[in-house]
Amino acid sequence: MKRIALTLALTMAAASALAADARLDKAKQEGEVAFYANITAVEPLMKAFAAETGVKATYTRISSNKFVATAITEFQAGKLMADVIQGPLPVLEMLKEKGVLASYRSPAASGYAEWTRKDDAIQLFGIELVSVIYNKDLVKPADVPKRYEDLADPKWKDKIVMANPSNHPSTISWLVGLKEHVFKSEADWRAFLKGLAANQPMFVASFGPTPAPIESGQKPIGISLPKYIVTKAPAPLDWARLDNQPLLGNPRAIAIAAKAPHPEAARAFMDWWLSPKAMGMLAKDVGETVTAPGVYPPIAGIDKAKVLSIRELSDEELAKWGAEFKQIFSVR
Amino acid sequence: MEATRPRLTWTLILIVGLLTLCPVAMLVIGSFSEGLNGLGTFTASKYVAVYTDPALLGVIGNTVVFVLGSSTLATGLALFLAYLNTRTDIPFKGLFRVISIVPMMIPHLLFAVSWALLLNPSNGMLNLALKQALFLDAAPFDVYTLAGMILVEGLLDMPIAYLIIAPAMGSFDVALEESSRVFGAGAWRTLVRITLPVLRPAILASFILGLVRSLASFAVPLVIGMPGRVDVLATYLYQMIATGFATDFGKAAALGMSVLAASVTLIVVYRALTSESEKFVTISGRGYRPSVIALGRWRMPMFALVALISLVMIVLPVAVLLYTSFVPYAMVPSARAFSSMGLKHWIEVLEDPLSVASLSNSVILGVGGATIGVVLSVFVAYVIVRVRTRAAGLLESLSYLSFSFPGIVIGVGFMWFFVQTPLYATLWALLVGYIATYLPYGIRPLSSAFVQVHRHLEESSLVCGASPFTTLRRIVVPLLVPGIVSAWILLASMFLRELTVSVVLSRPGTEVLAVQILRYADDGLWGKLSALGIVMIAISTALVILATALGKRFRLANTSA
Repeated sequence: MKRIALTLALTMAAASALAADARLDKAKQEGEVAFYANITAVEPLMKAFAAETGVKATYTRISSNKFVATAITEFQAGKLMADVIQGPLPVLEMLKEKGVLASYRSPAASGYAEWTRKDDAIQLFGIELVSVIYNKDLVKPADVPKRYEDLADPKWKDKIVMANPSNHPSTISWLVGLKEHVFKSEADWRAFLKGLAANQPMFVASFGPTPAPIESGQKPIGISLPKYIVTKAPAPLDWARLDNQPLLGNPRAIAIAAKAPHPEAARAFMDWWLSPKAMGMLAKDVGETVTAPGVYPPIAGIDKAKVLSIRELSDEELAKWGAEFKQIFSVR
Repeated sequence: MEATRPRLTWTLILIVGLLTLCPVAMLVIGSFSEGLNGLGTFTASKYVAVYTDPALLGVIGNTVVFVLGSSTLATGLALFLAYLNTRTDIPFKGLFRVISIVPMMIPHLLFAVSWALLLNPSNGMLNLALKQALFLDAAPFDVYTLAGMILVEGLLDMPIAYLIIAPAMGSFDVALEESSRVFGAGAWRTLVRITLPVLRPAILASFILGLVRSLASFAVPLVIGMPGRVDVLATYLYQMIATGFATDFGKAAALGMSVLAASVTLIVVYRALTSESEKFVTISGRGYRPSVIALGRWRMPMFALVALISLVMIVLPVAVLLYTSFVPYAMVPSARAFSSMGLKHWIEVLEDPLSVASLSNSVILGVGGATIGVVLSVFVAYVIVRVRTRAAGLLESLSYLSFSFPGIVIGVGFMWFFVQTPLYATLWALLVGYIATYLPYGIRPLSSAFVQVHRHLEESSLVCGASPFTTLRRIVVPLLVPGIVSAWILLASMFLRELTVSVVLSRPGTEVLAVQILRYADDGLWGKLSALGIVMIAISTALVILATALGKRFRLANTSA
């Protein structure tokens, strides 16, 4: 019996390896794969994929606010050039609804946690983790926040930088995430918001411009992404370890296009992207927090942090909360 | 005798109309359509939603102050610099000419960021230096204010104003001023009563272009307005499209329509104000020679003043960029910062194949686009100035259509348009998009130059039997050389750093510099951003020097022939 099971397993493994080989051959014939994404700094991965498979990978960065408009305009004109599409989960869900995405379950994601498989098309591979980032040359260890509530301490007045909470979707979802996952009551949460607003944080358009003021000391502390500790090394950045409070982040999703011009290359790319090797590169070189089991970015202590993927907000919710945060943070 | 040239006029209306009307028409359709892709069933709900927002009123107030302030600053400064450079014996003129157009070559995002690094109230370098030097307790300046926005936007728009005013100033008929002096008017009175009124078309052109430009400006409101919580129309539009994921560009276009209406009104007003163009003719073939006024004992103090202005507005921001490109991360200047300087960012940028590809694409688009744009502009400017029919007025308004739309929206208009054509995702789409959007940069300097060339010169040529084309080539174009050079420089450096159209249309194979810079900005990589920005400025500088030298040679060859 054992022998039969073993033979079966070996045959299946051999069959899937053969299938993978066949897929790669076809992908090579297709020659290239086009990747539309909002994740940044992934050029090394494009290069590694090409080196490993002989299939050229091109990367088009599309910012999240133009993503849906671009993909749908191209799709409806029959000119969507993307084979593989990566973006925030709400974006991919909208695209799926419009028929832009194909069903595909990559075998490379079989070891991933169940919650990362949203449906038959969308796979979650990462979390855009948000945390309190500070300048370790300027903030004494004793002063580093231990809880989110500490950001409302008046000692941080005029010392915080953050993305604009009235229109930056990730920041809006993060603040709402704090209400749903961290604070005991809505009153506590509102008191925290009021205190944070009273500290007059400096607003920038997105996360991208948050690390520079922290590094230079213009604002010694900020609500930002821990990945900058990796990408901006040797800048004196560190993240605040919190006592029994989780780190929250928006899930990053990937899927393949329904009318991919290079369908086999698309599947080969998705399989490769979700492999431990690619996920390892994403964590190590780009500082991303990934959902592949056991893979962590080289940020001291981050593997011990409790990480929660936050609920995606609908556009109506984003607009509603954005308007409310605008009110709360408009104090002078 | 008024030349009407209906065939030329309508051919140009067709070409310019195709270029500018298509994306705007797509936006009009999009603003009245359900859904997100610009084509859907009719709805007026987007207009209702946009124009009933109570927050809009405050935003409009800020916008008016911002736009008027920055355009006044730009025009005033340009007038001052152009006068000193073209009409006086101030020393080191060559240097000033290059220096007064450098801000145009710096990507606006970088220019705004470097001003934030200089003048932010926490640790702005200039603020820190002044605090130490003057023993102050608090920073003397805060860039994150409406005044700060006006300063930075005004400096950014100054070169456009300069390139329109300087050629007009350079071809000024000194006889007018001499007559004024002969009749006993002093230098100041001559300036106010003769020089400035004669330059009215150029001054108005630059002022209005400045208004339109700052209305569509995005970088300054984003980088300086947002931290200072000063919302103008551009930031309001940004918030509208950034807050959700299913971005409704139709709604943004609905708001853009009023910006467009305001711009078209401004153009009509401008045409009315300069309608009696005969008044402004100064090159008539009778003793044309621009003269130089001796500054005497004011020569050195004036030079010092200009040097100070140049230092504050150009040398400092460029130095900040240079510094940022050498330090490993954003650092306030210190012994430690200087000791840790290196070439890391430069090496990474120059080894990045995408940066190299975008460099060559941008140069192709800059040189090719500016050349095509100037040729088209010569004809359009000719019709606008010489053929003052209703059709010519239509042509002028058409040329402003795409230009006056807020940048973040017009790019989407082009996408909606090009995706219906085979040009989508090619360099040609970018080329056409650039020329269509920035045509006024080519037309304005040329038409203010045209205004000053008297029709008698052409008429003499025609009477002597030369064809209209020969007249254009042998008589008009040589006199227009300063205007042509200005237009080419404006277009080339604009195309080299163009972002708003490119960010929507750029695809693999058609990468351009500004999009690459935006990618670095999205990752917060200011070092690489600055290094690539400096490369961009260096290329623009080289193009400016080349164009100026060619213009000079052409002019010399013609005057000696």
